[in-house]
Amino acid sequence: MPSSTTPMTADFFKAIKLDEIDNSFQQELLDNCGIDLNTCLECGKCSGGCSNTHIFDITARQVVKLIKMGEVDSLLKMDSLWTCVSCQLCVDRCPASIDIPRIMDYLREVAYKNQIPATREQVLVFHELMLGHIEKGGRVEEGFLAMEFNLKTGDYFKDVFDPGMKMFFKGKVNPFTPKMKKRDETRRIFKMTSLRKG
Amino acid sequence: MSETKTALVIGGGIAGIEAALKIGQSGYKVLLVEVAESLGGVLEKLYNSYPRYENPADLIKYKVEQLNECPNITVMTQTKVISADQKPNSYLVKLQNKSEAKEVEVDAVVIATGSQMLDVTSHGEYGYGHYDNVVNSLEFEEILKEWATNKDKVTPPKTVAFFKCVGSRDRSKGYPYCSKICCMYTAKQAGVVKEMFPDTKCYVFYMDYRAAGREYEEFVRSVIEDKKVKYVRGRPAKVLPEDGRLLIRAEDTLRGMPIEVTADMVVLAAALEPSAGTKEMSNIFPVKTDKYGFIDYETNEVMKTGERIYYAGACSFAVESLGAMHQGGAAAAQVLALFNQEN
Repeated sequence: MPSSTTPMTADFFKAIKLDEIDNSFQQELLDNCGIDLNTCLECGKCSGGCSNTHIFDITARQVVKLIKMGEVDSLLKMDSLWTCVSCQLCVDRCPASIDIPRIMDYLREVAYKNQIPATREQVLVFHELMLGHIEKGGRVEEGFLAMEFNLKTGDYFKDVFDPGMKMFFKGKVNPFTPKMKKRDETRRIFKMTSLRKG
Repeated sequence: MSETKTALVIGGGIAGIEAALKIGQSGYKVLLVEVAESLGGVLEKLYNSYPRYENPADLIKYKVEQLNECPNITVMTQTKVISADQKPNSYLVKLQNKSEAKEVEVDAVVIATGSQMLDVTSHGEYGYGHYDNVVNSLEFEEILKEWATNKDKVTPPKTVAFFKCVGSRDRSKGYPYCSKICCMYTAKQAGVVKEMFPDTKCYVFYMDYRAAGREYEEFVRSVIEDKKVKYVRGRPAKVLPEDGRLLIRAEDTLRGMPIEVTADMVVLAAALEPSAGTKEMSNIFPVKTDKYGFIDYETNEVMKTGERIYYAGACSFAVESLGAMHQGGAAAAQVLALFNQEN
């Protein structure tokens, strides 16, 4: 967006050539996730009801629009990818039942695969830790997850006393979560689908 | 029963045909007057109809066969209504065809003179009349017919762009109203092009698409989703020649960015206005008209616009063929009720 310091000659609104749009990502979404963005009515109900839209740099509808306009490269650098918490409010309300959280997930996967840095590193750290837990034990051990997260990010006492301890005394957090049966099954799933290198 | 009453139906489009048929089949005399050489009106010019891609020629053929079977109906083509004198319970109407003038006394009149497309040279920015490949939607129907008959010989256009609301919803040009049917026929035309030439790109520039009708919304969605016609929200601002093709400038208002697209053909969905015939009839007969010249209705009455004068079809406002046919039937019901009461 233009600001007061940008030179007046900058080409911010250079016309997009409609007939040169690359729609391969839209097709990729259809092939890999079964999501047809042509069904989008562009009504904006997803963005209007989004629980996190106040901290998004582009709204959910704009995410869909950018994919349709073939602007995936700039989309992958957007903050919204990492501020979306996949709360499912958008898809729940979408009249066309477009699974936006799945799109967001897919975009994060693509960004991760192509080593495009996440605008919110901590979100990525959290994602990795949480998935690591599931891979290892089949479920998330909240206490340990929080601890590992704090160690990784260097903010050692984040959430420890409030709400951490409070929740512990109320029995909401169990540090010793029982392990799941058939853990090798989940590991197998991870082996088949993981994007992690090595 | 006293002497058989006669109704005059002016206009041989689908609305007029339906009105004439229903009055004639009920046992009254009908004069169906059409200015052109054959019946069918605008419908005859169309390649197919929405939302079921039916061939309008079949419908006209079916109706004309019924007309011919009915002895009460006299069809007069290439005939014009010149003047009309109002008598206490009838009209004395002067008809003129190529060779002779004729005066008839009729007990009721149904006006079904239809509407016409705005002359889009009014929108100089689109270059209609200057560039060969900028056509209005009615001309494009002819092109579709031509493409369909010589499908193998035609080189398919790479890109076709459709502009909606050319004139309609345009206060500056004096047409603040929505012409109602353009959204649907534009979707149909774009869908037909995609059906004929799947590799052709179709862009429809719209402000919003208005698909209020049975199967209409589903129809437009199927054109977007199944036939892959691209809908772009924004009213094009300019058409420029570029290497023998046409460069279109607009804003995608959903993206908030200016866009450009190069097309081989631009189809303008022009506003509908009362046809010349409709304007003439509103001068000849004592009817009500609105500020645009469309025939206006009498409050609390169905298809009635003046003393013993009824109307049907697009002369009162833009209407799709099915609606015009329904209106023809409704106008006939009014005429029949009037005649039956007086016998």
